[in-house]
Amino acid sequence: MIQGNVIKVKNLTKYYGKFKALDNVEVEIPEGRIIGLLGKNGAGKSTFMRCILGFLKHTGQINILGNSYKRHQQSIHENIAFIPDVNSLDDRLTVKQTMDYVSAINSSWNKEKAQKLLASSDLKPNKKVANLSKGMKTKLYLLITLSLDVRILLLDEPTLGLDIVFRKEFFNTILGEFYDETKTIIISTHQVEEVEQILQDIIFIDEGKIILQKNIEELKNEYSVYTVPSDQKEKLEQYNPKIISNTLGNVSAVLDSKIEIANAEVNRPTLSDLFMEKVGGSNE
Amino acid sequence: MNKFKALIIKDFQISKKSLMIPIWITAGFYLLIILMSSIAYFTGHMNMSLDQIQGSPPSETINYIINIAIMGLPGLISLIFIIILTQGALNENIRNNSELFHRSQPVSIWYQSASRYIVGIAGNWLVLFLIALFNFIVVAIVLSIIDKFIFATAFAGMAQSVVSFMKTGLIIGSLTFFCSAIFKDKAFLQGLAIIIGIQFLFIIMNALLHWHLPLPLNYIIKLINAAAPSSLDSEFVNENVGLYISELWKRLVINWKTLLQIGVSGVLFVASTFIYKYREIK
Repeated sequence: MIQGNVIKVKNLTKYYGKFKALDNVEVEIPEGRIIGLLGKNGAGKSTFMRCILGFLKHTGQINILGNSYKRHQQSIHENIAFIPDVNSLDDRLTVKQTMDYVSAINSSWNKEKAQKLLASSDLKPNKKVANLSKGMKTKLYLLITLSLDVRILLLDEPTLGLDIVFRKEFFNTILGEFYDETKTIIISTHQVEEVEQILQDIIFIDEGKIILQKNIEELKNEYSVYTVPSDQKEKLEQYNPKIISNTLGNVSAVLDSKIEIANAEVNRPTLSDLFMEKVGGSNE
Repeated sequence: MNKFKALIIKDFQISKKSLMIPIWITAGFYLLIILMSSIAYFTGHMNMSLDQIQGSPPSETINYIINIAIMGLPGLISLIFIIILTQGALNENIRNNSELFHRSQPVSIWYQSASRYIVGIAGNWLVLFLIALFNFIVVAIVLSIIDKFIFATAFAGMAQSVVSFMKTGLIIGSLTFFCSAIFKDKAFLQGLAIIIGIQFLFIIMNALLHWHLPLPLNYIIKLINAAAPSSLDSEFVNENVGLYISELWKRLVINWKTLLQIGVSGVLFVASTFIYKYREIK
């Protein structure tokens, strides 16, 4: 059920020196959706999230839950929780001190949920954050963030440094416990395959511009993956796909699902396929 | 208010080690004194004559001066630790990459800044006061044994010494706090270098162009000096300690300079917080 928009962004532009990191970004984020923000390295994902929170100076308008913000205000965080792409927990505190601090200053702290999450983790309360491994620090950050009953969750590469078991558990179970239809989650990640099952909408960002925002199911219905033998490559080339990939004597491309190609194998595209088609290959 | 309490607790937990160091240094000094006294006693070199102490100056003066003098070293150590804590107050989180975490909490930036200012300055005041109390008790015991302990005079000496260092700490701490809002690393030294640079520039310009540009370092020293008691007039102290104490209270606390010092510190705090508030969080 789509209700109002919780975030409205208009003409958002951000420069780092002469480099334009965000270029006139316009986007509306509806309530109660899980949205994936996908882009190549340096596309502007982190900058976009940090501008929304007012951490970075920018031009343009940002409206969160009906309030306009020109710069960073602490009241934003009453309703938004954020996990940055770099671990920013305070190394000088212990796990318990960190949790006590966050719980005391956040009215949205859910003590029961926090205790449940802590019990299911292997975090030792008296251990200093500095002495935790990178993965454990990320776990602690996730634990703290998911213990907040906020309306918007911004996750910038939230599972960076975590092993595959916890990553799957996080995306399939833990995040599911947090989510309900009144909450909005925006996830920026490189691990597209892992989040594909939980995402409802997708935003593709490239070179600081939003190039697509759509419901994933609709997008998947619009495109198909066509596979033909390598010697029939021209059948695909005539439709000018962005990328034609080679696989074991075959070539495949993502094309409009209405197209009909004789003797081609047609499959439903994955999110990665669609990303490659819309954005293209890696910058690196 | 609960949020502010949580911030104070968190900042105290972060600064606890630094705040405790003056206490350990004082403990070390006492251990050294006990060790040296024991060696002197057992080797027969202990040369403490009650007659020498009981002569002039009078007991009141001894009580007063000893309590002032014994706070000299802890006072200086306290100033050093005020500098150490306040120079990292608004930039330490950036250096250890926790700025995003702290700024992502729903608590006023003024509270966050005030909490660090209070822990950096008042935290050291509290430690200085605890050391002063301990010294006071030690001095009271020693004076009771070898001469005469006069509570009111001794306490006035201790209190005036502590208040003097507290005022100096407030000015130096506020200046360093301001530097921490501007510089990301070694804020105190960078701030000092710039002030000295401006001082020399102004001296040269005044000399070459016959201008009368105000010299910043002179103003700062004047402001800090105003916080310290004037040099002890020994004759005055000997003649009437009570009168001297009341005169020094007037010079130390009840005057317009105190207001100026508090005002300058307040302005520096507000300016620092504004700079910190509008800085980009990367």
